[in-house]
Amino acid sequence: MITIWEVLDRVETGPYMEEKDFDIKVIAKKCRELVKEYDIKYNPEEIVTTDSSLADDLFEAGLKLALEAGIYCINTKRIIKFSEEEIKEGIKSAPSEIIVGQGRDSRILYARDIEDKRRPIICGGQAGATIPEEWYVPMAMSYMKEHLIDMINHGGLAIVEGRKVRTNTPLEIQATRRELAMLREAAARAGRPGIGLIAGESSVSALGDLAIASERYMRTSDSHLVALLNELKTDYDRLAKAVNFTEYGAYNVTLVDPIIGGYAGGPEGVAITFIASFLLGRLLYRSEYHVCHPIHFRYVSTSAPECMWNLNIVGQAMARNTKFIIMGDVWTSAGAGSEMIFYEIAANTITNVVTGTHPLGVSATNGKYPHASGLETRFMAEVALASVKLKRNEANEIVLKLLNEYKDKMGKPDIGKPFPELYDMKKVIPKNDWETLYKSMKKKINDIIGGIIEI
Amino acid sequence: MSEEILNGLAEAIIRGDEEKAKEMAKKAIEANIDPLIVINNGLMKGMQKVSEDFNKLIIYLPEVMMAAEAMKAALSILEPKILEKKVKEEKKKIVIGTIQGDIHDIGKNIVALLLKANGFEVYDLGRDVPVDEFIKKAEEVNAEIIAASTLLSTSMPYMEDLINLLKERGLRDKYIVMVGGGPVTREWAMSIGADGYGEDGEEAVRVAKELIKVKKK
Repeated sequence: MITIWEVLDRVETGPYMEEKDFDIKVIAKKCRELVKEYDIKYNPEEIVTTDSSLADDLFEAGLKLALEAGIYCINTKRIIKFSEEEIKEGIKSAPSEIIVGQGRDSRILYARDIEDKRRPIICGGQAGATIPEEWYVPMAMSYMKEHLIDMINHGGLAIVEGRKVRTNTPLEIQATRRELAMLREAAARAGRPGIGLIAGESSVSALGDLAIASERYMRTSDSHLVALLNELKTDYDRLAKAVNFTEYGAYNVTLVDPIIGGYAGGPEGVAITFIASFLLGRLLYRSEYHVCHPIHFRYVSTSAPECMWNLNIVGQAMARNTKFIIMGDVWTSAGAGSEMIFYEIAANTITNVVTGTHPLGVSATNGKYPHASGLETRFMAEVALASVKLKRNEANEIVLKLLNEYKDKMGKPDIGKPFPELYDMKKVIPKNDWETLYKSMKKKINDIIGGIIEI
Repeated sequence: MSEEILNGLAEAIIRGDEEKAKEMAKKAIEANIDPLIVINNGLMKGMQKVSEDFNKLIIYLPEVMMAAEAMKAALSILEPKILEKKVKEEKKKIVIGTIQGDIHDIGKNIVALLLKANGFEVYDLGRDVPVDEFIKKAEEVNAEIIAASTLLSTSMPYMEDLINLLKERGLRDKYIVMVGGGPVTREWAMSIGADGYGEDGEEAVRVAKELIKVKKK
């Protein structure tokens, strides 16, 4: 596969273009053309589709976009282009399984197939949110204490030792190191010292990330997310993160989060952008695995129907045409402590697991408030484990039913309650009210989905 | 006749057809239609529909950008007539940017476009904008609103810095300050003393309009 050195050369020598032209004349124009050429159509009645030829067409369209667009570097205003041979080499060399975590807490993270019967890997945590320092350890423990959760991707810190962390300042280093130190402490206290982490969320520039490449913080069996900027863009901060972890030996993970309604257009253009992003992310960041995170222009949540359709079709396209390991995000509008969150989790998780991705969540309230806990992620895990029994057509029927329960509430979701109101902070166990609600909602939803969850 | 021209102009904006927009603007001048009516009942009517369709996800960001370009083209034709008639547009200048430390700009771009579509004169400073640059630009263009966006919680303190710097310079009451973006909440916006907050583009436009009305009273 192409070396990181060659990538960095192209950042400085690729074709020059104004950013606005890349957004409009390349991304918007090509996505629109490819949607038409490959006849990619979003069908709201088929959130989980059985049309495999659509998945293959989407893959071809995405490959074409990857070839024709490349990746734009916003610092140098140059396009990093890759040849078809290089992209295919990236596909061929991608690992189909890796070991995450250490010792008895390690897991094999693998490329899922469509309707795969194997147990999916469950990655839990309130990713994307900022978590108050004083709750960080017990909140992280609430996920780690759940035996069905295999890996952790928790939020970052915006305040450390009473000081507000500003991007790209020394406090970012302190916040990122503190985040890792607290995750390690939580893991030890939960009796899972080797649990695999996706971490460094406090590092929004490269500063914090550079400061944690040490066994004391991140191990080489851990991972960090390296985002592609919207759409098909990167910058020196992202590249620095990738270069650093490549040399250090931990896992680079491409975070791809195109916006439905943005430059790529509607659900169809976004799906094409996903494929191109994964293929190019593999070469650009040397990523071992990838995160699929469609963003809804209005609701943000991955549980919005257009987003779930994307998770479904992108997952299937990648599973049929590559051996890429992909996690699908579960971001809900509602918060922990509400009824609504359970419907969103169930629909989103079933979609992911049946169509080739491992569930990563639950990021309640779209990561806006720390209204989350381990308990709703236990529910995500239970649904995920049960979903391996489903065929795509059965999954679609269920997802549509679940969607009906929350789609009209997405504009004004019930944001639930903050973690300390949901959990006993000393024992780190759910409070009675929250556990009772969980049990009743689990039963209610199990009735809707045909009793597949083991009670 | 004039209604036909105005509808044609609105339609050209909706389709993002620059050439057609220019052609209809010329026809409006030939028909001697008051430029203020051309703006309100032609251009703005078209842009209003574009905003509505975008909010319903019937159309997407590229279409909104094309519509904005078509409106700009039509305005370039109408400009001499506007000056001649001394039509004074309502002063609604807004300085907008993604604040320091953050390079995410799609959300901000969407808000900027919707503001333009709703008749604001928008000065978009781009991404990773230092706090004092917002103020410098606002002073330079005599803006009424300063709007800052971020997707990063660790860039939110810079919004607070913006308000504090306005206070330090004795300029706080001169400007309406609006904030928004992924992690920014209504409660937080109020806690730092911002005047307005938009959960999404549609709300940002509505709040900006309301705040201007209130300020004028």
